[in-house]
Amino acid sequence: MKNFFRSLQAKYMLIILLAIGLVQISFVGIAAILTGVTGNLEEERWHPNIIEEKWHEEANQLPSISAEEIKEHFAKWKQAFPEASMFWVDENGFLVEKMDVRETLPIQWTAAFTAKFIKDRYGGDPFTVIAFLGEEETNGFIVLEIPRVNFQSPMQTFYDRFGDVILFGTLFVILLFITISYLFFRNIRKRLLHLEQSMTARDKDGLPIQTAVKKKDEVGQLEKAFNDMVLELKESKKREQEEEQLRRELIANLSHDLRTPLTKISAQTYSLLKENLSPEGKQAVKTLQLSIRDIDRLIENLMSYTLLMASKYRLERKEVDVVRYVRESIASWYPVFEKEGFKVEVDLQLFENNHWLVDPAWLGRILDNVYQNVLRHAKSGKFIQVKTESTDQYDAFVIMDQGPGMKRESKEKGAGIGLSIVDMMVKGMELDWDITSSEHGTTIRIKKYK
Amino acid sequence: MVRILYIEDEREIGGWVKKELIERGYQVTWLQSGEGVDQYVSEVDLILLDVMLPGLDGFSIGKRMKNKHPNVPILMLSARSAVEDKVEGLSFADDYLTKPFHPDELSARIEVLLRRFQKHEDELIIGHLKVSTKDMRIINKNTGEEIQLTGKQYYLFQFFIRHLNQILTKEQLYEGVWGQPYVEGDKTLMVHIRYLREKIEENPAKPTIIETIRGIGYRVKV
Repeated sequence: MKNFFRSLQAKYMLIILLAIGLVQISFVGIAAILTGVTGNLEEERWHPNIIEEKWHEEANQLPSISAEEIKEHFAKWKQAFPEASMFWVDENGFLVEKMDVRETLPIQWTAAFTAKFIKDRYGGDPFTVIAFLGEEETNGFIVLEIPRVNFQSPMQTFYDRFGDVILFGTLFVILLFITISYLFFRNIRKRLLHLEQSMTARDKDGLPIQTAVKKKDEVGQLEKAFNDMVLELKESKKREQEEEQLRRELIANLSHDLRTPLTKISAQTYSLLKENLSPEGKQAVKTLQLSIRDIDRLIENLMSYTLLMASKYRLERKEVDVVRYVRESIASWYPVFEKEGFKVEVDLQLFENNHWLVDPAWLGRILDNVYQNVLRHAKSGKFIQVKTESTDQYDAFVIMDQGPGMKRESKEKGAGIGLSIVDMMVKGMELDWDITSSEHGTTIRIKKYK
Repeated sequence: MVRILYIEDEREIGGWVKKELIERGYQVTWLQSGEGVDQYVSEVDLILLDVMLPGLDGFSIGKRMKNKHPNVPILMLSARSAVEDKVEGLSFADDYLTKPFHPDELSARIEVLLRRFQKHEDELIIGHLKVSTKDMRIINKNTGEEIQLTGKQYYLFQFFIRHLNQILTKEQLYEGVWGQPYVEGDKTLMVHIRYLREKIEENPAKPTIIETIRGIGYRVKV
């Protein structure tokens, strides 16, 4: 019940009731004013019936029937009703006395004329009252005439006087109702729009932001439900992050645990090399060292591959000057290629737009994998070229070697997983790449379409 | 003699690395955990730090030491190779090397850090030049005369010496020496390298001290 009174529905009902109430109140008010005013009018102006009664009564009760008496009686009525006219026809049908009579009346009243007069005046204008004098009908009669215009209905009088007030009053009541309704709906609209804004806004996690619940009505309930939903989303996101963290930890620990013994083997082989070994022994140790390096790379690639496959590899893309980045990357690899006797050709020209939206760590990893493959599988070519290429469709980095090309078995030796990582990372950053290989060498293009 | 503090809990690896470093002429103090590390830090030139340690982990120890002694370079040496680990490590450490590694690579990286932090007091022989790294005095061995460098030439040469054997791009050189972003097409750097070569090269037309690596940048190699 308490909640009901807080609801918008209840408020709207209240407004409707208020509106109906206002109409009622104004009716009652008008009626009250009307009664008051007509009361006053009655006092001023007698009702035709009352006048008629009074005229008859006074005519009956005249003490004596003489010209003086009647004149006096007429004068008294004239005072009360200045608009009235009166005359007296005596027992013989003669018009004896008249006061302010506007029409022409015959001096001698025949029965026929009297009847016609009565018929004409019945319900007509002026309002006419005919009364016999005294107790008996033999004393003649007196006639009172008052123009009907003086008996305008009180309603009419009232409207004439207060019509404007009523009109403006009605308009005011309607406007008041419209204003209250408008304010009521404007408030609802404002809150709904505010909620809509909260729903579209996102915080740094990409989740909606909770909104403040100010009232406990329907919109308030909606806001609360929305907040609960945001909270659930946040919790589920947190759970997901925790799982992700756990997974990363697991893989990182696994890789650590694999690398530690590998480092020990590496240390031992290195110490072995310092002993006096036969040439065969030395060769065997060197092969061992190469294998250790391969296993190390495989662990690294396997780890990245697992994370990439599960979309758990951290990706933070930002605007990177890629030409500069690629130049610095080849600068750090240069000594390695130099040591292996490679000829390194670098020709990096500026693109129209050097800033690509990439994760530098990912781009670095892609380049590292490509360079490692060149070192491992294209050593015989002793050549690597890194250059830029711009066409109408794309900007690209081209890495070319003159090795024996990629054959099936080289994939099995581990180039496969390295290139799979390149593939996933390139696509993960919305770039593209292609690879062409022949017995004269391999060319890799990392492309960004325009 | 360069003093290195080495923190590694794995006995076999620790023993081997210590032996290799001593053979290369470094003085090594090896601790098996981060306990009591503080008493050594002020007396060493470089710290080699493993990540997975009993008790306090390498990241925490490294951050604490870097706060107290920002002038001592820290090289993280870890079997953890995830990007997250490297990023966290490099947020305070000066280099990060993953296991397994070759002792030659380790000592090369140690040398780079020592030069960057000017921990060496020795003299470098670069071609016909004898350079004392502490005060950047350059002597031409052939004539026995000292070469005087002015303003930017001095800083440029110093930058090369600190990044010995590294190929430096135009951007890296310009930003390192001038402290401003490099604008493509700016000739200032080229002009200064030419002046520097005129002073230090035997034959400026065929430079041997400052190598040009085509398409990449420049290098001073020992």
